Amino acid sequence: MNRSWTYILAALGIAVLIGIGLFSSRFILYLTMRVMILSIFAMGYNILFGRTGLLSFGHAAFYATGAYGVALCTIHVHSHPVLAVVAGVIAAAVMALIIGFFCVRHTEIYFAMLTLAFGMMVFSLMWNVRGITGGDDGLSGIIRAPISLGLISIPIMKDSQYYFFVLMFFVVSVLLIHRIGRSPFGLVLASIRENHVRTEFAGLPVKRYRLAAFVISGAFAGLAGGLAVFLESNVTPFAAHWSRSADPVLVSLMGGLQTFSGPLVGSVLFVVLRELIERFTHNWMLWFGLILLAIIMGFRGGIVGSTAALLKRSSEQG
Amino acid sequence: MTAPLLEVRDLSKAFGNVVTANNLNLSLTAGVLTSIIGPNGAGKSTLINILTGFIPPDSGRIIFQSQDITYEPIYRRVRLGLCRSFQVVNVFTGLTLFENISIPILAAHRRANGLFSTVSGEKAVREEAHRILQRIGLQEQGDLPASALSHGDQRVLEVGIALAARPKLLFLDEPTAGMNPVERIKILENIRQLSQEGEVTFVIVEHDMDIVFSLSERVIVLHRGDVIGDGPPEQIKADPHVREVYLGEEVVA
Amino acid sequence: MVQSLVHVCLAGISAGMFIWLVASGLTLIFGVLRVLNFAHGSFYMLGAYLCYTFLRFAGVDFWLGVLLGPLVVCVVGYFMERFLLRHVYPLELPYQLLLTFAMVLIFDELVKMIWGAGSIGSPTVPGLSGSVSIAGRDFPVYNLFIIAVGPLVALGLWAMLEKMWWGRIIRAAASDREMAAAIGVKVPALYTGVFVFGAWLSALGGALAVPYVGLLTTGMGEAIIIEAFVVVVIGGLGSLKGAFLGALVIGLLTSFGTRFIPTLDMFLTFILMAAVLLWRPQGFFAES
Repeated sequence: MNRSWTYILAALGIAVLIGIGLFSSRFILYLTMRVMILSIFAMGYNILFGRTGLLSFGHAAFYATGAYGVALCTIHVHSHPVLAVVAGVIAAAVMALIIGFFCVRHTEIYFAMLTLAFGMMVFSLMWNVRGITGGDDGLSGIIRAPISLGLISIPIMKDSQYYFFVLMFFVVSVLLIHRIGRSPFGLVLASIRENHVRTEFAGLPVKRYRLAAFVISGAFAGLAGGLAVFLESNVTPFAAHWSRSADPVLVSLMGGLQTFSGPLVGSVLFVVLRELIERFTHNWMLWFGLILLAIIMGFRGGIVGSTAALLKRSSEQG
Repeated sequence: MTAPLLEVRDLSKAFGNVVTANNLNLSLTAGVLTSIIGPNGAGKSTLINILTGFIPPDSGRIIFQSQDITYEPIYRRVRLGLCRSFQVVNVFTGLTLFENISIPILAAHRRANGLFSTVSGEKAVREEAHRILQRIGLQEQGDLPASALSHGDQRVLEVGIALAARPKLLFLDEPTAGMNPVERIKILENIRQLSQEGEVTFVIVEHDMDIVFSLSERVIVLHRGDVIGDGPPEQIKADPHVREVYLGEEVVA
Repeated sequence: MVQSLVHVCLAGISAGMFIWLVASGLTLIFGVLRVLNFAHGSFYMLGAYLCYTFLRFAGVDFWLGVLLGPLVVCVVGYFMERFLLRHVYPLELPYQLLLTFAMVLIFDELVKMIWGAGSIGSPTVPGLSGSVSIAGRDFPVYNLFIIAVGPLVALGLWAMLEKMWWGRIIRAAASDREMAAAIGVKVPALYTGVFVFGAWLSALGGALAVPYVGLLTTGMGEAIIIEAFVVVVIGGLGSLKGAFLGALVIGLLTSFGTRFIPTLDMFLTFILMAAVLLWRPQGFFAES
């Protein structure tokens, strides 16, 4: 796409998001926050999946680590929301570093199985260490204290206030991930996906890059989890369950794996579709499965990829 | 006399009962274009795989520029200047030619870790990538994905990627396999010229004897993991033992 | 103490046999098709629900239910392989995994729609409903029966793969599919056959589990597929012998874990899985 168009589109997007924050109902606010949080999760995840070509079934664990990190920090250490979010992200990144250190030794199916095993270890710890995590009840009643900046303090108690807190992190994440996509590091990750042997013979330590991608995607998962805790005011161990790791996969697939905007578009679709389907049936998961099936069987480029291909084809004809 | 570029001492490797390197001793001199030949199963590919770090040897030592690299990982050997190309096409098919070439250059410039800089902002890397693309005659296709190239051009790109890592010693595993005669002449001319410029020392594994004898300054003959001939092309051509086990077979076949 | 240990052992072995039935099909399918089927636990669940339905609504004898339920699952498996899975073999691994994952969601929800989301009680088996005294304590006869069924299935599989001509074809295809195709094996038909057979094994496990589990729930498939994954990883992906021993290990580990360190039992299972993947990715019991 033309560069100036990208800027215009980005500016327009931010304007719309600010508009939603100022003028819409609580329900729309809530949904938009869910979209933004899911986007952060999926875009981060896509650094590992779409970019590096590694399918992880353990990223729910990092999402949950971020969530518990924020909750525990708020309850036991300090209620400053920014501090809590930073603590959550660091906790998730450290967890991803430890788990990733082992997982990146393998690829393909063994990598997927390892992430599943480690993810479920985290799940079972959160489930069983009742004293800290509250067991299967989880932690609830997490409050959003005002952000104190020395002399002034900004309240984020109301959803309409918290919305801008999420928006800020969302915009920063989008910028960071966009930048990573065009960076030398991002190119190396793509080269690992394409041909990891050749990358090694280009003079690059492939495992270390895989680990770096793992940690970065884990940190974004943690950020998403942390923001979600403040939104929902509670967290349970199910956030870490392996089946939850499928959410970002579906979102990335729906939007389009090899595109930057894919996970963004996918998140909007995911949240909106879910809302719509749940309004009419109780079988959201059935539709989730059918959509996934349809994408795999027919639309592997996702919405963004398929649309781009369609536009390209029609412009070639026209 | 200067120290050899690469020295191999008592190198052995066996897969089960099949010995592919039997107490090999070799040394390669900088600037001498060397070919390794031998019948199928002679251990040529295994030797390259061991020297470039793809598989570990059972015993022995590899010394590159007076540094023991026997157990160094692949990427570190590449950074020291020991690189290779592959027998089969081994490029980044989904990436553009420019990106293909940029990856080893970024590594060589130690610019591959940048998270928040952009590839397009790396001026030195960009210039070098264009220079190499020009050198291998693919500058026109720089923005195409590698998958759009013909098989022969992909092989050329393969050599280009290997060159972009700024090797001092470059192993080319059958560089002309699958090329048409025009591409073949182009790539061989490139190799000859680069070798004469003296920055890269080439070691070539080849089946085509015409190429071997016209191009090389030194020929090493492997047979069942042993060196059975080592010298200038004329000497190897005349060596009765080599003729018997290798060239003889070729004539019969 | 001794009697309690004996009973913990027996409970572990009988639990392990159900995992074995699921894992055997899973590992067989992986060995031949190179696809790790997340939906394999769903076949187990479907086998159980269908068997229950035959008993409850068709009024058939339990053994007839055990025969019929898995047969219906075979048909389901046939359609899944023939019309869905077959089209993703050429694709990259994530797509194959995700396709089978999508099927898990679909099967789970379909079961909820048809049989309801709650759990349903299951009948006892006439003739095998009592218990016998072992080491001074009662032990259900049915569980003893299950302990006998597992090795019998293993023996049958072994005989089939080693002694019969089509067993040899399966083994040939598992080790080298190009070669198998070259010597004239109809690979697509073989794939369908193996997939259907694997689905049958898993559904058989499910049908036999009806009197054992007491309650049928939609979560039963997901619970057992994770255990079966652990088992095939420990045994070595594609190894039947490994799957059998792995199932025994996991059955016993879970049984002892629940008895002595209930807070860590799931954790231990996954530690074991990760450790095997890291240090012996070819599996613990696989040859070479």
